[in-house]
Amino acid sequence: MAHIHLGEGTFPVWALVLWTTVGVILVAAVVYRVRKGGIKTHQIALAGIGAAASFAVFQLNIPVWGGIHMNLTGLVGILAGPLLGSLIALVVNIFSAALGHGAVGLIGANTLVNASEAIVAYYAFKTLMGMDWDVFPASASAATLGLSAGAFLMGAIIVVSGVNGSALPRGDLTIAVAGLVGLNLGVAVIEGLLTGFIVQFLASVRPDLVGLADRDTQEEPTGVTA
Amino acid sequence: MTTLSNHVPDPRLITAFAERRDGPLHRVNPWTKVGVVGALVLAVTVFDRLALLAGLYGAVLVVYGLAGLPYRRLAGWYTLPMLFIVSVAGPLAFLEPGTPIGGALSTPLGELSVTWAGLVLFGELSCRSLTVVTFALTASMTTKYTDVAYMLGRLLPRPIDQIALLTYRFTFVMIETLEDLVKAALSRGANFSEFWSNKRLYARILGMTMLSAIEQSERLVKSMEARGYNGDITLYGDVPRPPARELIVIAACYAGVVAYALVGVYEVVPV
Repeated sequence: MAHIHLGEGTFPVWALVLWTTVGVILVAAVVYRVRKGGIKTHQIALAGIGAAASFAVFQLNIPVWGGIHMNLTGLVGILAGPLLGSLIALVVNIFSAALGHGAVGLIGANTLVNASEAIVAYYAFKTLMGMDWDVFPASASAATLGLSAGAFLMGAIIVVSGVNGSALPRGDLTIAVAGLVGLNLGVAVIEGLLTGFIVQFLASVRPDLVGLADRDTQEEPTGVTA
Repeated sequence: MTTLSNHVPDPRLITAFAERRDGPLHRVNPWTKVGVVGALVLAVTVFDRLALLAGLYGAVLVVYGLAGLPYRRLAGWYTLPMLFIVSVAGPLAFLEPGTPIGGALSTPLGELSVTWAGLVLFGELSCRSLTVVTFALTASMTTKYTDVAYMLGRLLPRPIDQIALLTYRFTFVMIETLEDLVKAALSRGANFSEFWSNKRLYARILGMTMLSAIEQSERLVKSMEARGYNGDITLYGDVPRPPARELIVIAACYAGVVAYALVGVYEVVPV
């Protein structure tokens, strides 16, 4: 999960207003689509608990490069779809900001980044599955593509906004941000592979979750416990 | 051995501080804290001097201490915010034009050195970020669960409020599920110290967590519909409007920031 890896106050006021406005427009469009389609109880429940799981997964330390944390946004997009995936991204960002991860003023920008990850991952997965790809390569590629799109969007937002108090020309700032985007692309590959294994596992126990079986024919829950 | 991280704030601990402690900030109206967070975001965005930003950060640290919250935990929770600052402000400290500190290191791409301007920028970005991180944690650790739930229900539009309320309720359940899965794997002799050789184990644990979430949501749907859920999760409790003295404090915060911006930064009002 890429983030605007800058703390509070790093963007000038106009950029804060701009990205918050764009974020609000995106969320308003999603809410409109969701309301227009008549949101079902199971969608609310899935989005709420899916966001809780995404938030909980972040607590696990993955021992790569000294320790990385993931929200599995690509997986959330694949499982919940682009609309609910975007709302989950918003809710996770609100809770993250309340715990000092991310930034309150950058919730709009971070939601744009994470929603793009979920949306791209969902459509890439659907496309690849439609091309008869196997579950693992399709989900791993889709998640990597989604996370890479988020990483590039994150870099673009930082370069467009500039850094508060910095006299650095945009060209040099692009060089500085390129390193961060590169690091995020590395994490995207790791998270993409992990997502591939997770979707492969989910497809083996609940194929209906990834569209490999009819959801209505699914029997009682498998009762997963430790 | 890898378990749940101790440099990411645990929502259970945060909530325990809010529910079990009774410091001066626990008695402050939750809406006032939201207002102060907004004022701080605005302040760290428009303040343009390191001394001012450092002073603001120092003041927030004092407030954190006065609320009876632990500094040692806070230092651990700074790990990720500092990592974010270093990841961008680190290169900027080298690239920022200005007078080099000490000598310059010759590299095939040219001379490399940290400049005074780069160091000041690094300090400013750190103070900006840590000020709001510290106060966000202070507010979270001094606001009770029911008050947070009430405010989520009031601030967010439907259906985002419903999603956020379920997320808040089930975050604790999902963390315990994840923790149980990690403990179960460890008790069966699993080794989490290396990712690549254990990638399938990680995938299984994370997959089980997501599967558990989905199955809980399916059970939840049945109980919600059985209780006649119609798109509204009823909230019990109430967070009243802040008292007059707290409203004055909030207004003073915003007025101070706006006045500084108009006079000191944008020079709209000449002095």
